[in-house]
Amino acid sequence: MKKNLFIVLLLIIAFTLPLYAGAYVMSVFNTILVFMALGLSWDMMLRTGQLSFGTAGFFGLGAYASVLIVTNMGFNPVVSLFVGAAFSGLIAFALGFIVLRLRQIYFAITTLALTHVFSVIIRNLSDLTGGASGTQLDTAIFGGNPTKLYYMILIIALFTILISEIFSRSRIHYAINSIRNDETTAKSSGIDVFKYLLFVFVVTSALQGLVGAAYAQQYAFVNPESTFSLNFLLLPLAMALVGGIYSTNGPIIGALILGLISEYLKLIMPYGHLVVYGIIIVVVVLFLPQGVYTPIKNKLLKSSIVGGDNNAQT
Amino acid sequence: MPKLKANNIVRRFGGLIAVNDLSFEVEKGEILGIIGPNGAGKTTVINLMAGTLRVNEGTILFNDEDVTKKEAHIRNRLGIARTFQIVRPLENFSAIENIMVGALFGKGDKLEDARSTAQEICDFLNLKNVNKSVDELTVLELKKVELGRALASEPEVLFLDEIMAGLTSDETWELMDIVKELQKRDMAICVVEHIMKVVKELTHRVIVLNQGEIIAQGPYSKVSENKEVIAAYLGEE
Repeated sequence: MKKNLFIVLLLIIAFTLPLYAGAYVMSVFNTILVFMALGLSWDMMLRTGQLSFGTAGFFGLGAYASVLIVTNMGFNPVVSLFVGAAFSGLIAFALGFIVLRLRQIYFAITTLALTHVFSVIIRNLSDLTGGASGTQLDTAIFGGNPTKLYYMILIIALFTILISEIFSRSRIHYAINSIRNDETTAKSSGIDVFKYLLFVFVVTSALQGLVGAAYAQQYAFVNPESTFSLNFLLLPLAMALVGGIYSTNGPIIGALILGLISEYLKLIMPYGHLVVYGIIIVVVVLFLPQGVYTPIKNKLLKSSIVGGDNNAQT
Repeated sequence: MPKLKANNIVRRFGGLIAVNDLSFEVEKGEILGIIGPNGAGKTTVINLMAGTLRVNEGTILFNDEDVTKKEAHIRNRLGIARTFQIVRPLENFSAIENIMVGALFGKGDKLEDARSTAQEICDFLNLKNVNKSVDELTVLELKKVELGRALASEPEVLFLDEIMAGLTSDETWELMDIVKELQKRDMAICVVEHIMKVVKELTHRVIVLNQGEIIAQGPYSKVSENKEVIAAYLGEE
């Protein structure tokens, strides 16, 4: 009950933020929500045991697909978000048949290489993509209205959270956790390992494409360097690690913590904030390898679990 | 009609022939023992039959259907289940969740049904502590979880790979009673076992492997007197 109340409270704050926050605060949370959605989608793939470094790549593909069909084919920008998601999902589906044969470091490094390959291809298709200088839109989505942009990203982040929760409350949870734990046992227990890996890879890539499309639409701009920037891999990854992997709440908490800290540090020491940022990540990974969320949750739950045990015994 | 039949199966690892032109079958309601010295290819045979490994040559028939090229998860859904010699519990799940995995994917239960299927199996196995995480379980409980996950897929053929290893005498008897009960339910069961008292007590028939080939087969009482078998186990005189 308490937990539900807390969630409702957070949702109310999230939805009413534009009423009392200015454009600056909204843009800060806008950025945090972008990285939150990316971090969560990265974590969903990690739950299968596959460490993907392709987040920035699928983010960039979605961004380009969305911008190009608006400039070249006159699509409605809102529709183009879905096209961006679908395009990233489609490419992930095709590539999945190859890269999902790989495991561990080989999978990780291949997905990282793909990110680079995507950006090189796009740079060289200059007739279509504008090459190295990129492509600009005439106007940002929703005319660049900060409130509407904030709601767009909020809805995408909530959608990602919803998918993550569906993952952890359905049979998918049992399949992907089994695969991460022991693939041989998973197979011997009737789990179609490749099917589940492909499914999760396509879903998470499509989410990354959706976020990329929304990001590109709000800045009305794509270019190979900034759109495929490794920031869209490393920051979400750091947030998920700091918050705690293999859960929905971990990446959410990590994104809030690191997002707010980095924004604050940026104000008090421009550029120096990256150093502090790095130190926080190192400290958390060293001393709280499970992230911030799990130890806190266990502490909070401890009293209620002890109570539950006592009840069971009496 | 045999439940499961291997026809001249061969498996090589590089230059080593682990299983060489092996044929055997198991009927429903039968407990078949697979014995042999270390390195004879017993576990490889299980891996081949359950689909964990592919055969290089030969065919495998399940209910007269050719499953040679079917993957492990398909064979499990059809009705071939196995346990692992070194237990392989899913460590981020509780005991009952481990068993639920078999019900969800091997049997095809819906999420809401899987827990009750798993609970029934826990009751059958006399497995308490179902909500404990697997790193808190005893060896016997881990073996029961391993067996439970296999049973949850409702197999017609069950491979048990040294499931008694490491258990005390009392625990061994407890598991043997469970296996006998499964046999009464018409399951076809293949046990790989090193403990001869278990083989003697449990099996209707044994095949003896040495260097990937069958060197003897028949009831345990006959086979245990076979000179070649004694030589393979104890070395030539």
